[in-house]
Amino acid sequence: MPPARDVIAHRGDDDEVCPVCKSSRYLNPDMRFLINPECYHKMCESCVDRIFSSGPANCPVAGCHKTLRKNRFRKQTFEDINVEREVDIRRRVMHILNRREEEFDSKRAYDDFLEQREEIIANLVHGTDVAKTESDLQKYASENMRSIRANQAIEAQEASSFREQQTQEQELARLRREAVRQEYENERREIMAGREDVLSRLAAGRPADAAAIAREGQKVLLKKSSARRSEEERIRQKQAALRNSDVKKSGPGAVSSSDKADDLGGSSLIKGLKKIKTPEPEKPYDPFMGYVPEKRDYYTLRDYYPNTYLDPVRQDTRMQAGGYDLQEYYSRTLMEAFAGLGCFIDEEISQRDIANASDISGPVATKGAAMAAVSSAGTPDASS
Amino acid sequence: MAVSPSGPHVSSIAILSPTTTNGLGKSTITESFDKRKKSVLSPQPTQPADREITEQLNDNVKQKYIKEKKLGEGTYAVVFLGHLRTDPSSFVAIKKIKVNAEYKDGLSMDAIREVKYLQELSHPNIIALHDVFSSKDQNLNLVLEYLPRGDLEMLIRDTHIHYGAADVKSWMGMLARGVWFCHENFVLHRDIKPNNLLIAADGEVKLADFGLARSFADPYLNMTHQVITRWYRPPELLFGARQYSGAVDVWSMGMVFAELLLRVPFVAGNSDLDQISKICEAFGTPTEENWPGVTRLPNYIPADATHIALLQGREFFLRQFPTAGPVGADLLMSMCTLDPQKRNTAFGVLKHGWWSTEPKPTQKQDLPRKSGGTKKMGHDLTRRGGELEETPFKNATRQLDFNTARDY
Repeated sequence: MPPARDVIAHRGDDDEVCPVCKSSRYLNPDMRFLINPECYHKMCESCVDRIFSSGPANCPVAGCHKTLRKNRFRKQTFEDINVEREVDIRRRVMHILNRREEEFDSKRAYDDFLEQREEIIANLVHGTDVAKTESDLQKYASENMRSIRANQAIEAQEASSFREQQTQEQELARLRREAVRQEYENERREIMAGREDVLSRLAAGRPADAAAIAREGQKVLLKKSSARRSEEERIRQKQAALRNSDVKKSGPGAVSSSDKADDLGGSSLIKGLKKIKTPEPEKPYDPFMGYVPEKRDYYTLRDYYPNTYLDPVRQDTRMQAGGYDLQEYYSRTLMEAFAGLGCFIDEEISQRDIANASDISGPVATKGAAMAAVSSAGTPDASS
Repeated sequence: MAVSPSGPHVSSIAILSPTTTNGLGKSTITESFDKRKKSVLSPQPTQPADREITEQLNDNVKQKYIKEKKLGEGTYAVVFLGHLRTDPSSFVAIKKIKVNAEYKDGLSMDAIREVKYLQELSHPNIIALHDVFSSKDQNLNLVLEYLPRGDLEMLIRDTHIHYGAADVKSWMGMLARGVWFCHENFVLHRDIKPNNLLIAADGEVKLADFGLARSFADPYLNMTHQVITRWYRPPELLFGARQYSGAVDVWSMGMVFAELLLRVPFVAGNSDLDQISKICEAFGTPTEENWPGVTRLPNYIPADATHIALLQGREFFLRQFPTAGPVGADLLMSMCTLDPQKRNTAFGVLKHGWWSTEPKPTQKQDLPRKSGGTKKMGHDLTRRGGELEETPFKNATRQLDFNTARDY
């Protein structure tokens, strides 16, 4: 247990005494308090063991008749029990209402959703309309099982990739620090070595050359350090390029939301969700594209109709060789004979009139002119 | 609007006009009326009321559209881009048929055929005729569906465009549906070729140019055999048959199919005779055995006994058109049968098993496309039916003609 928590636990007098067995921390310094999210009544560990070891039982606090189970008891995170409860509720609601921004038509719709979620949480926290809110929530959860699960998976994935990225960055920073340190060390060592070299050469050479040796040593050092700097620069650039490409690769983890295609029709709780297009299962190709071939309502077509006018056609080799098809003729003449049946002009006209109600101005004007002409013919000529 | 000279109409105008309170007003009206009378080209003003109404209706239709710019011009027609007056985004192609020297007193046959059959046929794979109106000088204007993505020929010829068996199947399906619908309604198209197959904005192939179309003939009635562009003309027409059936369109369809697969015209003769010999070479020589009665056809030319090619079997089609697959080759073979009686019908083509085999036809919106179709559509619609255009020999003769003209 973190020390800070101990401090909190020791602050109030209430915390010192278990409300159930009234044993105090004074008597039992190891005493720890647990709560159950069913009713958030606090009791000590030994009470939990004593009451709930043999299975679910009622909460021992007077007036509270909630049935509690031992496995749900846990340590309190926040000092204020109300905060604790709100956090629990919030976690549960957010777990269910876990729609993501990209699932909404607009920013506005997403904001509305967030507001709605807060309202639900507030309702549950403050106990307004709890039954209805709960039932809504349950209904939504059961209807949107798949999308909830998919979004949870995405969240988990995001969290893990975020953690990964964090550790990666830390590692990179560590490597950079290491490199800088190494670099500094190298430089220092070289300077020292150069100096020693100059010193030893000074010791070995003649006094007259002293100034020249010193200058040369200086030059060598400068050259070396500049060479090193350019080399380092090169390495740094290379690393930067590498890093960039890494970032690009591990960039936005493309999350396909296609597998979340479900529900929608039923999710009346949340408005403004994008319509997810479920690709329809491809229908087998219909060469006729919905047109019904050989649709004959009023007659059947026979292969042969005896007829003295038509029979010679069958014997005429020239017509036969040209491909003339008597069958086509039968079919056409029969169709023409029966074509009018099933056409109800009254209906068609009334339908057309309804459809064209708006744009019949042309004919009406003509009709009006004609009527005027007729009426004027009957009356004495006004203009003469 | 023309005004007829009958009494009641003069008075009706006088009544309707608010400026007829004095003599001046009346005189202006009669003046303008006289001018109009002169401008009316009608030779017999016997049914004045009728005439007025028809002209009024014509004007109503004409007012519905706004002509924008010219898309193309040919000897036969000019095509304009237009749109609905009420909706500038609804494009149409307005095909204005030129007054033809051959048909001074009336309309050209092509125009009549086009209007007659297109107004009857309404199908997604047949170009829609929205309206017909006449403009000044009695020019006939056909308001047609606007098909901005060119034609199949353009796609076949463009070497930068790659397409596969699924695309060919999709195109052939649309073509076969269009042809079948024509035949189902007893219309022979008689000019099926890739550049009469226009492509709509959504990729749908539409059968266009009904300038040579006619309805199925009654028995004993002669039809002309001078139809269908030569490369797509079936052997019975080349042999001069005067009674034929929908099988002629099926042959053309087969030729288009072969061309889609090979990306060059399959049998491209440079004269009718050459076309016959090329067909014999490719599919076999027609004889009384494989085509009963062929020798009795008017223009039948007995084949050279030394050059009789056997009827091609299934292996030939399999070898020649591997992209189509075995089932596709069967279908093509059934469409290219020499004897029109044995040839498949448009209905039979659609019933064929090829449509249900793999690969599935491409969705029309995913078909290969090419830009610059608008101009091509303008060009396509101005053509006269049955003409061959890109024949190198044709150009050669034209050049020769010029030379002779200069010499003499």
